[in-house]
Amino acid sequence: MLKENDNDNSAATLATTSSGAGKRSSLRNEGRKKYRFDTTDVANVALFLAVFVGLWQLVTLLELWPKTLLPPPAQVAISISELITNNSLIIGIATSLWRLAAGFAISIAVGGVVGLAMVKFQGFGKTMSSFAVGLLTFPSIAWIPFSILLIGFNDFGILFVVVMASVFSVMISTYGAIRNVPLIYIRASKNMGAHGFALFRHVMIPAATPSLIGGIRQAWSFAWHALIGAEMLITTLSGLGYILAVGREFNDMSQIIAVMITIFAIGLLFDRIIFLRLEEKVRSRWGLNQHAE
Amino acid sequence: MTLIETSPYTNKIKNGSSHQERQEQQKQETLDFIPALHVKDVYKSFDYKISKNNGSSKITNYDHISSEQQQLLSNSTRSFRTSHEVLNGVDLKIREGEFVTIVGPSGCGKSTLLNIIAELDKPDSGSLLIRGTVNDINNALSTKRIMIFQESALFPWLNVQENVEFGLRIAKVHKERRRQIADKYIEMVGLSKFSESLVYQLSGGMKQRVAIARALAIEPEVLLMDEPFAALDVQTRDLLHEELVGIHKTTGKTILFVTHNINEAILLGDRVIVLSSVLKDIKKEFQIDIPRPRDPESPELYEIKKQVLREFEGDLQIAKRK
Ligand SMILES: Nc1ncnc2c1ncn2[C@@H]1O[C@H](COP(=O)(O)OP(=O)(O)O)[C@@H](O)[C@H]1O
Ligand SMILES: [Mg+2]
Repeated sequence: MLKENDNDNSAATLATTSSGAGKRSSLRNEGRKKYRFDTTDVANVALFLAVFVGLWQLVTLLELWPKTLLPPPAQVAISISELITNNSLIIGIATSLWRLAAGFAISIAVGGVVGLAMVKFQGFGKTMSSFAVGLLTFPSIAWIPFSILLIGFNDFGILFVVVMASVFSVMISTYGAIRNVPLIYIRASKNMGAHGFALFRHVMIPAATPSLIGGIRQAWSFAWHALIGAEMLITTLSGLGYILAVGREFNDMSQIIAVMITIFAIGLLFDRIIFLRLEEKVRSRWGLNQHAE
Repeated sequence: MTLIETSPYTNKIKNGSSHQERQEQQKQETLDFIPALHVKDVYKSFDYKISKNNGSSKITNYDHISSEQQQLLSNSTRSFRTSHEVLNGVDLKIREGEFVTIVGPSGCGKSTLLNIIAELDKPDSGSLLIRGTVNDINNALSTKRIMIFQESALFPWLNVQENVEFGLRIAKVHKERRRQIADKYIEMVGLSKFSESLVYQLSGGMKQRVAIARALAIEPEVLLMDEPFAALDVQTRDLLHEELVGIHKTTGKTILFVTHNINEAILLGDRVIVLSSVLKDIKKEFQIDIPRPRDPESPELYEIKKQVLREFEGDLQIAKRK
């Protein structure tokens, strides 16, 4: 049984590599496989959602809590559509995503540059990495009072918290990823004439990419957590976190759940669709998940 | 090139000439030809930092620490430096287009020598002469001598074609031209069908073929090969030996091939250099005038093998006594 599988695999590899025609046919195979994979995936998610909504409905029918405290799914759906029609949800999403993008971009730029400096200057690297590792475990929400007093109740206050939450993750992963580039690649490329920026651009960065993506994915999730927290506490009258806080002010549980679902969906979208896809693509190119399938 | 043609290398080294004889011969030859590559009087040693804390000593590398040094270490409480000599005045001249194999026991400094020639490492003293002129070590790293490593060192983020184009891309060669050159050498190593393949899809032998194509694409003056086939199975290695001999014939490249495998060394080389870990220098060299491809079973080759083996035995015994 196992042996047969092995044969199949090697046949498939040969097909991908043997000729143009073989390549095309195997590409088609791959496409089909992916498609099938996607449909079962979607079916699974749909089933899971159906069961979840069903249980939710059941619990509300039992009336363990009053309807205002635990609204049924239908009411939350109405809340979502209301939030959409009065534009507040769309504006909230746009505002939050804009802040996230800005904060994350700053983190990548600053974290990347400092991470590279840490590689370049070894003494600095050692000290900075233990400092950064310490700050990595520091709860981002604990930056909020500091930020409010230093910067105030505005977008920059929120940005500060987002950056502080994610910059150290980018820094540490850049430092680690570049330092762990196998020496053999560097020696081979130097021997072929690469040095300075060309070495960096054509060897260091691509060689570090698989582990860099992991770090960036983590940084993104830190930034996202910090953003919602900061929006709830640093009141600026906009953003998903703010809508959530408003729901709490007005005891509007269905609005709270509606926003929670939105936050969940956005997190899932970015992590699964963007980062996981990217990671998978790189890993499969390197042949890193040959045995994972 | 012209210089060499007008002064052919007539003064061949006799089989199994001794160290001193060889040096004398070399002096004589200097008048006869200008070598494509001259490794002149190279010395190289590595430093080790040894530190001892709380009775547990931390040594970066155990192999080369003599018993006196170990004694010193057990008596000392502070860290100290020691150095291990690897190359002791190695002098080696290589003709244009020559296929030279360097053989020696593991750890005798073969890779170190090759790294110095590739300018991936610097000698403590001595120099590298290219066609009689001193190579400027301070210059940007040379792409004239390209190294092929035991592990293929192909870049997993690039496919075969892109790997072969790497050196040309660094040299900012135009895209079309790059593709042309890469295609030519990918075909030469018989991998045209695999030019879009990714590195992980290749077998060990195919990887080394790509590495050879990648080196040739840069059109180097000298191909440096550091035990390139040591990790391959016997059949694949035999195949690659044949192919390499073919490539040497068609391209006329100067090849410096390092191995610890005597059979491999005498099967391939015009000249076999025996490196000794005791002398830390070239011990002997053998000129092999048998045309390639050679029959590994032939009595002539067997005779040479016996002679080379004798050199090895001496090396091992001295090492044991020490
Ligand atoms: N970078 C280095 N630092 C310290 N010691 C080294 C280094 N490179 C090689 N050596 C030592 O020098 C000796 C020669 O090594 P090497 O040239 O790799 O031998 P070979 O390739 O013949 O097996 C070995 O004993 C090795 O441990
Ligand atoms: Mg070696």
